[in-house]
Amino acid sequence: MESFPIDTLPSVGDIHLACFTGVRNAADLKERLQVQDKSLTFAMVESNLIMDVFQILLAATKAAQDNESGKLKTQTLSSEIVYNLSPTNNIAESLKRFGITEDTTSLIAVKIGGDPDEVLEDMSNTVDGNLISFSKLDQEKDMEKLRKFYKIDPKVTDDKAILNWIIGGIAMKNVQ
Amino acid sequence: MIHNAQLIKQGAEAKVYLAPFCQRQAIIKERFAKAYRHPTLDKKLTSRRVVQEARCLNRCQKALIDTPTVYMVDLENSLIYMEYIEGISVREFLVTAEGETPEAQSRVAKEIGTALGKMHNIEVVHGDLTTSNLMMRKETGGSVVLIDFGLSYVSNLIEDKAVDLYVLERAFTSTHPNTEVMFAQILEAYGESSKAAKLILKKLEDVRMRGRKRSMLG
Ligand SMILES: Nc1ncnc2c1ncn2[C@@H]1O[C@H](COP(=O)(O)OP(=O)(O)OP(=O)(O)O)[C@@H](O)[C@H]1O
Repeated sequence: MESFPIDTLPSVGDIHLACFTGVRNAADLKERLQVQDKSLTFAMVESNLIMDVFQILLAATKAAQDNESGKLKTQTLSSEIVYNLSPTNNIAESLKRFGITEDTTSLIAVKIGGDPDEVLEDMSNTVDGNLISFSKLDQEKDMEKLRKFYKIDPKVTDDKAILNWIIGGIAMKNVQ
Repeated sequence: MIHNAQLIKQGAEAKVYLAPFCQRQAIIKERFAKAYRHPTLDKKLTSRRVVQEARCLNRCQKALIDTPTVYMVDLENSLIYMEYIEGISVREFLVTAEGETPEAQSRVAKEIGTALGKMHNIEVVHGDLTTSNLMMRKETGGSVVLIDFGLSYVSNLIEDKAVDLYVLERAFTSTHPNTEVMFAQILEAYGESSKAAKLILKKLEDVRMRGRKRSMLG
C-alpha cells in the first residue's frame, strides 16, 4: 500500500492506495457495494482504466474537497472517488464504468484518511487477491474504453498527452 | 487552503503560486475581487472569470494546442490548479544568445503563428498576448506553450481576433527591438493555420491604422 498527502487538506489524512491482482472475490465485493454494505470503507476502482497514479490522486483530492464543503454528489466519500474519475455527470454510468464488476481481477483500493496499518489490514482482509505496489502495476490498460469514456481525440497518441487529456476531463467535470 | 505554496506573482486581480499537488508541482492561480465593486456581484464575476479561464484552457487542449493542463477548479475559493510549465518565456528567450539568432527566432515565430491560428479557429481569443504569456517548454527543447488565459473569451468576431494579434504586435515592438522580421514570420505561419486569416489580417491593418491615429492624437 502507498500513502500520499492531500496537499489541499493535509488535516484530513492521507490518500491510501493498494493494488490487487488475481482478485478472486469480485462478485462478492460487487454484491456488497450494491447493498451498500457499510462495513466496506474504501473505494474500489477497475485498474485497467488508471493510466497514472495522478489520475487517482486527483479524483480522491476532489472528493475530499467536496466532502469538506458538504458538496458530495454521491452517497459516500468512496463512491465520490469513483464518480470523480469519470468526466461526465451521470452518476450511475460513472460508477458502472470506473467501479469494479463481477469479473474484475485487478483493482485499486482507495481510502481517504485513517491509520495506514489499519487501512491496509482492512483492505487485505476484504479483497481476496495479491497485493502489489502501484509501480508494479504494469497491466495492460484498456485503451479502447479509456478513449471512449474520456472521448479522447484519435490524433492524441502519446501516453503523456493521453494522460493530460484524461486529467483535463476530470478537472472540468464541475465546470462544464 | 494552499499549503507549502510559493508565491510567484502578485498581480492586480490574481496571485500565482507554485505548490505541490498530487505528487507534482502545480501552478495555482487565485483570482480575487477588485475591492471597489459590489461584494456579491464581485463574487459572481470572479467566479465567472475563473470558469471562463479554465474552459478556454481546456478548449485549447482539446484542439491539440499546447497549453497548461487544468488539474482542478475550486470555485469556492476562485482557484485554478494547473500544470506547471518548466521553461522560460519567449520574452526571456529573445535576450539569450540563441534567441537572438534569426534561425531560432524563425522557428519560434512559426510555432507561435501556428498555435495562434489554431486557437482562433476554435474561436478562442486570448485577450492578453504578450511575449511573457508565450512560454517554451524545457522538456521538449523549447516548444511553444500559450499561458495566462485570464482575459480570454470565446468569440467568432474577426475584429476580436485582429485585436488579439495587434496586442501581440505592440508587445513585440515595445519590448523587443529588431523583431519586425520575426513578427512577420508569426503572421505568415498564422496565415497558413488560421481559417479566416485573410479577413483577420486585413482587419489587423485597420486596427493598426486606428492605433496610429489614436497615438497621433495623443
Ligand atoms: N502554467 C504555468 N506554468 C509556469 N509558469 C506559469 C504558469 N502560469 C503562470 N506562470 C507564471 O506566472 C506568471 C503570472 O501568471 P499569469 O500571467 O497567468 O497571471 P497574471 O498575469 O497575474 O494574470 P491575469 O493576466 O489573468 O491577471 C507568468 O508570467 C508565468 O511566469
